Amino acid sequence: MAVSRLEASGGEVQNAKDTFYELLRSRIAAGNLERTIVVRGQTRPGVLVEENELVTTATLPDCFRLRWTAAGVDTANALPLVALGCEILYETAGSAENGGMDRGRALAAMDAELTAAINASPQFAAKQNYAGLASGGGVVAMNTNVWWGNVVFGAAVGKGDRVARTATVTVMSYEEAGEL
Amino acid sequence: MGDLLLCGDAVVRSADALLRANGGRAALLRMPAPAVAGNDAEQLGLTAPQFQDAELSPVLFRRAESATTLLVSASAVMAVVGSLKFNSAEVLFETAAGVVIDEVLYAIVSSVASVWDGEPYSYCLTLRAPDR
Repeated sequence: MAVSRLEASGGEVQNAKDTFYELLRSRIAAGNLERTIVVRGQTRPGVLVEENELVTTATLPDCFRLRWTAAGVDTANALPLVALGCEILYETAGSAENGGMDRGRALAAMDAELTAAINASPQFAAKQNYAGLASGGGVVAMNTNVWWGNVVFGAAVGKGDRVARTATVTVMSYEEAGEL
Repeated sequence: MGDLLLCGDAVVRSADALLRANGGRAALLRMPAPAVAGNDAEQLGLTAPQFQDAELSPVLFRRAESATTLLVSASAVMAVVGSLKFNSAEVLFETAAGVVIDEVLYAIVSSVASVWDGEPYSYCLTLRAPDR
């Protein structure tokens, strides 16, 4: 099996990353309508991709932050098979009315939302190309799917007055002509 | 309660007066423009926001070898927090792209509020000059 490393930037594998984010965002929003964040004055579902946002020192609590990590490609198939590592970071200080004493419960609630969103069937989605949105165009459906495994939870860690966790999931897709 | 509110308000006015009397000037807080509601292109990193400058006045700017600081009136900060719909001054400063002083963009490293009676009357920003 020929496996090589990919640079997780630029145009490579971007469609798989975008498709997974869009799907996760819609599932999280469907699971909990109140899981929202305010980014630059606009309220939106509490899921974001770090590399798609402005660089800032702020870490938003009570939302899921996607961070794309390793990428590998298996070129032994007719279509190259790409596996992408995705870290999902989240943290919470609990609620102010409870003095933060419910931060453990709040983190557990986020664990449950993430589990429901990622582990729910189907664990695949038709891959979409969102590049046209930049010029006012539409989303183009592609010929292959994006699929992923179950979410794996890291240990909960204290972070000041917050408790934080990093979960990971591997996202895979076949790269179509012109994607690599 | 009314007395307490008046007291806090008086301290804010006093701080403004002191800042002006000690050479208070204006600085520009460079903010990314508000996001476009439901815009997938922005959330996917396909389009970048515009930037807008909000005036902070009065402020005192001090540049030394050890640190560059900006003392900002809380009333000016609260006006920007309200107009841009931020939850707090801390989030405002964390979101800002920086502060423009004499046409130089400084990054905001940290912000500390000076508080009287539970109400901030000034903010001290630690700034970092751009790499040359």
